[in-house]
Amino acid sequence: MPSADQSLNQQVHHLYSEHHGWLQSWLHRKLGNRCDAADLAHDTFLRLLTRQVVKPLGSEPRALLTHIAKGLVIDRWRRQDIERAYLETIAHLPAAEVPSPETRLLILETLWRIEALLRELPAVTRETFLLSQIEGLTYAQIATRLNVSLITVKRHMRTAFIACLSVA
Amino acid sequence: MNSSMINPQILGEAADWLVQLHSGTATAADHQAIAQWRSRSAEHAQAWQRVEVLLGDFRGVPANLAMQTLQRASRKEGLSRRQTLTRLGLLFIAGPLGMATQHLPWEQWTADQRTAVGEQKNLQLPDGSQLLLNTDSAVNIAFNPQERRVLLLNGEMLISSAKDPGARPFIVETPQGTAHAQGTRFCVRTENATSQVSVLEGQVVVTPQLLRESTTLSAGERQRFRLDRAEAAQRFDLNTVAWDKGMLLANNMRLDELLSELCRYRPGVLRCHPDVAGLRVSGAFSLRDTDASLRLLSDTLPLNISRMTQYWLTVEPRV
Repeated sequence: MPSADQSLNQQVHHLYSEHHGWLQSWLHRKLGNRCDAADLAHDTFLRLLTRQVVKPLGSEPRALLTHIAKGLVIDRWRRQDIERAYLETIAHLPAAEVPSPETRLLILETLWRIEALLRELPAVTRETFLLSQIEGLTYAQIATRLNVSLITVKRHMRTAFIACLSVA
Repeated sequence: MNSSMINPQILGEAADWLVQLHSGTATAADHQAIAQWRSRSAEHAQAWQRVEVLLGDFRGVPANLAMQTLQRASRKEGLSRRQTLTRLGLLFIAGPLGMATQHLPWEQWTADQRTAVGEQKNLQLPDGSQLLLNTDSAVNIAFNPQERRVLLLNGEMLISSAKDPGARPFIVETPQGTAHAQGTRFCVRTENATSQVSVLEGQVVVTPQLLRESTTLSAGERQRFRLDRAEAAQRFDLNTVAWDKGMLLANNMRLDELLSELCRYRPGVLRCHPDVAGLRVSGAFSLRDTDASLRLLSDTLPLNISRMTQYWLTVEPRV
């Protein structure tokens, strides 16, 4: 749909020139950091551009921009939480098991994705999925570990796979 | 393909097959049936392939580490949406209450001295000490008869402290803690709720605000600290501190780190494509003319710099 793409591009271009400066100083106020603010302002517009569905941007574009930006700020905090948890975890590991700094980023990227994927799922679904996909347990082993029936394990796995398919 | 485009029936069937495949009891017949299912249409094949790639990545991380990290993170409220939203809500309405730990731009405006992006400013302090303020930084200078105190609100500075006739202590305070100088030359930097003190000459005693312990740093040592914790002090090469001369000396530095340093000295956005983020770069780069530094990068490395606007640049692999 080239015409729709074009009109979205034009809208975003217009938004960018009208509100980018404002959004960036808004983020700067919230985050207290210029580089992060610039980064997230950029990501906010990028998010607008890559939205698959063209929705009318409405008469309050700044409300939409701050809505997206808040989501990105939360995302960033989640990532920081994971990174902190990672650092605490490796602090407790024997030196031989600590991944090299080069692989750290790869691992963190994957953990961020897993967390984002499982974020909205119930805790037990999350745990079931992790035991299967990360620890490599069979459903029978998971059923024993969590003290639930095989059917229940399958139900949790199905829910989690639906979540995977929905983001993939 | 986006989730909204997957036919719900295909999605449900794919989930059923995935459940079977990962049960630990999948048979050869199952695999055959899945292969058949996948070949029914491009949409079937694509849905399957994408989720397999995703799951394959998950199995690439060390199991023990991944489980512990995710459990630790979720225990720590990090993953609860409601709590995160509360945290966000509080921060968004807190305003001046957050002042103690969060620097606010109005503080910068009321600061005694500040620099714009890309600017450096040399200040002579009342006692004869020199303060070089780096890009996008703000300080308050609070000297009194008892002490010489400089508050670094944001950014970075280099202090060359002079001997004081009244023997008053020289203290640099950041939002995260204090650095107590003893006849010395040192850099202090604060950003992202983290401070860093690097000592070039003499000694500096570093104390995070919420900790009782201090660390004494000597020349060639640096330490990063937050409000409530300090990292171990590390040795660094004194020669690599060159921002006071308008230069950045990279020695086998990651490209994304180099770019984020350059970003501090220029307005707008400077992004690094993930495919080239890990490239190692060595060389001397101008901080006063960052356009020239970027040109140098694109001339010597297989990089392309795409400009969306003058203030929005992305460094990407050259195709």
